[in-house]
Amino acid sequence: MNRLSRDGLVRAIVCFTPILWAIAFMFVPYVIILTYSFWTKKFPTFLPDFQFGNYALIFFDPQYVSVLMRTGKIALFVTAAALLLAYPFAYFLVFRVKSAKVRGLLYMAVIAPLWVSYLLRAYTWKTILGNNGVLNSFLVSIGILDEPTDVFLYNQFSMVVTLTYIFIPFMVMPIYTALEKIPKNLIEASKDLGIGPWGTFWKVVWPLSLPGVIAGATFTFCLTFGDFVAPVLVGGPDGVMVANIITSQFGSALNWPLGSALAIVVLIIVLSIIEMSDRVQRAGRIDLA
Amino acid sequence: MSFKTVLKYAVAASVAANFTVSAALAAGEVNLLTWEGYADASYIEPFEAASGCTVSATYVGSNDDFAAKLAAGGGVYDLISPSIDTTSIMIDAGFVETVDTSKIAEWDNLYEKFRTAGGINSGGDVYGVPFVWGAIAFMYRADKFETPPTSLDDLWDENLSGRISLWDDKSAIYVAARRLGHTDIYNLTDAQIAEAQASLIGQKPLVRKYWATAGELVDLYVAGEVWISNTWAGYQSSLIAEQGIEVVEFIPRENAEGWMDSWQIVKDTPNTDCVYKFINMMSSEAGQCGTSAVTGYSVANPVAARACMTQDQFDALHQDDPDYLDALLLWEPLGERIEAYTNAWNAVKSAN
Repeated sequence: MNRLSRDGLVRAIVCFTPILWAIAFMFVPYVIILTYSFWTKKFPTFLPDFQFGNYALIFFDPQYVSVLMRTGKIALFVTAAALLLAYPFAYFLVFRVKSAKVRGLLYMAVIAPLWVSYLLRAYTWKTILGNNGVLNSFLVSIGILDEPTDVFLYNQFSMVVTLTYIFIPFMVMPIYTALEKIPKNLIEASKDLGIGPWGTFWKVVWPLSLPGVIAGATFTFCLTFGDFVAPVLVGGPDGVMVANIITSQFGSALNWPLGSALAIVVLIIVLSIIEMSDRVQRAGRIDLA
Repeated sequence: MSFKTVLKYAVAASVAANFTVSAALAAGEVNLLTWEGYADASYIEPFEAASGCTVSATYVGSNDDFAAKLAAGGGVYDLISPSIDTTSIMIDAGFVETVDTSKIAEWDNLYEKFRTAGGINSGGDVYGVPFVWGAIAFMYRADKFETPPTSLDDLWDENLSGRISLWDDKSAIYVAARRLGHTDIYNLTDAQIAEAQASLIGQKPLVRKYWATAGELVDLYVAGEVWISNTWAGYQSSLIAEQGIEVVEFIPRENAEGWMDSWQIVKDTPNTDCVYKFINMMSSEAGQCGTSAVTGYSVANPVAARACMTQDQFDALHQDDPDYLDALLLWEPLGERIEAYTNAWNAVKSAN
């Protein structure tokens, strides 16, 4: 084999391996799911078909719409909570912490939980928020509560707390990166021109960090939207989210067609959000060069 | 110890390990899809040692999980243990094969009522080996009730708000229907199911959590979250008692459901030999009393029970009195109607 054709072969392998991977593990499964979504449920299992009944059911049976709305609501709360916590933290790291060592350490402190099993982290919140949990015991011991309260666990509050904790690294990372990229001389220039710290923040720092905020919000929202563990572990009777419905359609309800249709609906929602955030980001891009 | 001795032990150990592994491979395995408590080490380990069959178990939280797991592709499980309302679905869906009852030594000793049950018989063939049975009773924490609860109304009691739990299963519809006075719970009309659904949605604000596995319900009681719920009679109550919390089981005046689980052989299992050895062990004294000791359930083989249970245990588990089971509402296959029940229960869980 001569030199040229061997290079060609290497190039072909390098190019086609990822493409093959994408086809086998992304494209084919999506097509299978899409195909199933047109099938019909027929006791005891389901039959191949081409009809839109599953989609019609999702939009006309109020139980599915209400779960989708609830999932969106939880995802919004988690995104807002994560943003409110992550932004000041990232700002503090980038602009207030002088020592690079301390900055690195604090940054790692937020990222490190990502290496711990998701399940374990979600489970931990049960022991914190429960009736006999750490929080209740503490509040009772210092006399704020007379007896333990139920309001911390097995409801939407505990789901938002747990999911915020779990997904906050995905908010911190892009915001931190965006803030770090802001040239310090722009902030100094703003100060030199007599703009106060508040004005400098809103006119210089915030607009320049917006891409990070949008990226973080998109991550957090989409990850929360597809979560099904938190509802099972810390959610209560009113905590069912759309991913739980999908698992139950593929599981106990044995209605893969409906589950597939729901998965396609979720996919469309998530892709639209990613597309939207991409557009917003591009529209608001500021050229620093 | 000299280097030589160490070496000798190491060689001996590796030879022994090799031998064990190859023996296990030669003898095969049994992969169970079953309920918690049905593969306890106390009787599985002696079985493995005696038969050379390796047993591994995956647990289900609900009868609806059997079809779901098997539909996802065969080849993983050899033996399943669905309840009598689900066995016929397995047969209709073609997930299980016929049982050669001549290979089951204890077959004739099993309760006739179970052997001839419609759920495991189809077209003159037998598709299941009855194993254990019991009631879906209710239970409460003894220290939290001055007057013991006697009715399903207590699970809808505002005063117990946040202390109630219910099994995350379509059987919740049965519970709600009985409370509303519909006793023919396996033949409910659409209107009655809708009524039960509405009643369960009304109950939701009072429910702390729907329990999905036996372990979860135990945790909920132990953590002080739940005071009253339904339960697999005999099982969770003893696990909770082990944690030092006293619970009392009761059959409410609206009655309770009964259940019976059978072993069914997954179609085309490559481990037929081990499967039959396993079923034989489970229907003999070792498996019957072994499972009963772990779960507190009644067993399907009264002859074995007579031999391995004390008289007190025998009486307490109603082994001499299958009429007790007749008084319970034994689960029945729902046929196509199962969709109406499942859908209603899913709607309850999805409701705001």
